[in-house]
Amino acid sequence: MQRQDTVFRALADPSRRAIFERLTRGEAAVKDITARFDISQPAVSQHLATLRRAGLVSERRDGRLVYYRVDPKGLRPLIDWIVHYQAFWPEHLDRLQALLKEMDA
Amino acid sequence: MSAKADTQSIALEYDLPHPPAKVWRALTDPKLLASWLMASDMRPLVGHSFSFRAEPTPWWDGIVHCEVLEMDLHKRLRYTWRSGPESSPLDTMVTWTLTPTPSGGTRLALEHSGFVPGNAFAFDGARKGWERMLGEGLSEVLARDAGSGG
Repeated sequence: MQRQDTVFRALADPSRRAIFERLTRGEAAVKDITARFDISQPAVSQHLATLRRAGLVSERRDGRLVYYRVDPKGLRPLIDWIVHYQAFWPEHLDRLQALLKEMDA
Repeated sequence: MSAKADTQSIALEYDLPHPPAKVWRALTDPKLLASWLMASDMRPLVGHSFSFRAEPTPWWDGIVHCEVLEMDLHKRLRYTWRSGPESSPLDTMVTWTLTPTPSGGTRLALEHSGFVPGNAFAFDGARKGWERMLGEGLSEVLARDAGSGG
């Protein structure tokens, strides 16, 4: 639950959302992101740290460079409830039917 | 049943070879509910508050809060289905309708109504942007994640 609030808070900021959106299209280093957006390098690093704490992005070190990419698991809290229940109910109604077969009349 | 214009529903229908009284038991007996749905202290009495409990996840406490709104023995059962954290509340309603079939079975209809589409994304009025994004990059990411369960 706290985890979800962290995710929402991380994505509430338009700059962070823009950076995150950029990362959904592929891995990038801080300098790639700084070049694309009108934000200073320290600010970009700050935003990336927040996204990383929220579990939305992961980092990979390659020599002196750090590459950031979207961590798909971090997106799970954002999946809409209706999507969840569209899978939930058919699955559980299959179990209901199996149970009914076992029950006495 | 007509839902509000800004909400969505899930509707499912099943033809079961079992009589309504038996299906009703599976929908209302906590012991039976535990074996196909979730652990519950449900009692089919209008006004009765109860809950369903599942394994908590990092973003959900696993508790569904319910209150029986309507009960017509062996025919119709309606309860609230409220859950989720404040940032993405789920305030919905579940309706079970049981109709006897000529062969002695039951037509079981489930309606889960009241979903606010994308309510998770509406929190700062950024829904339009989210929808655009969901249509492109995010859906690809989610597709890549499909194999890892959850």
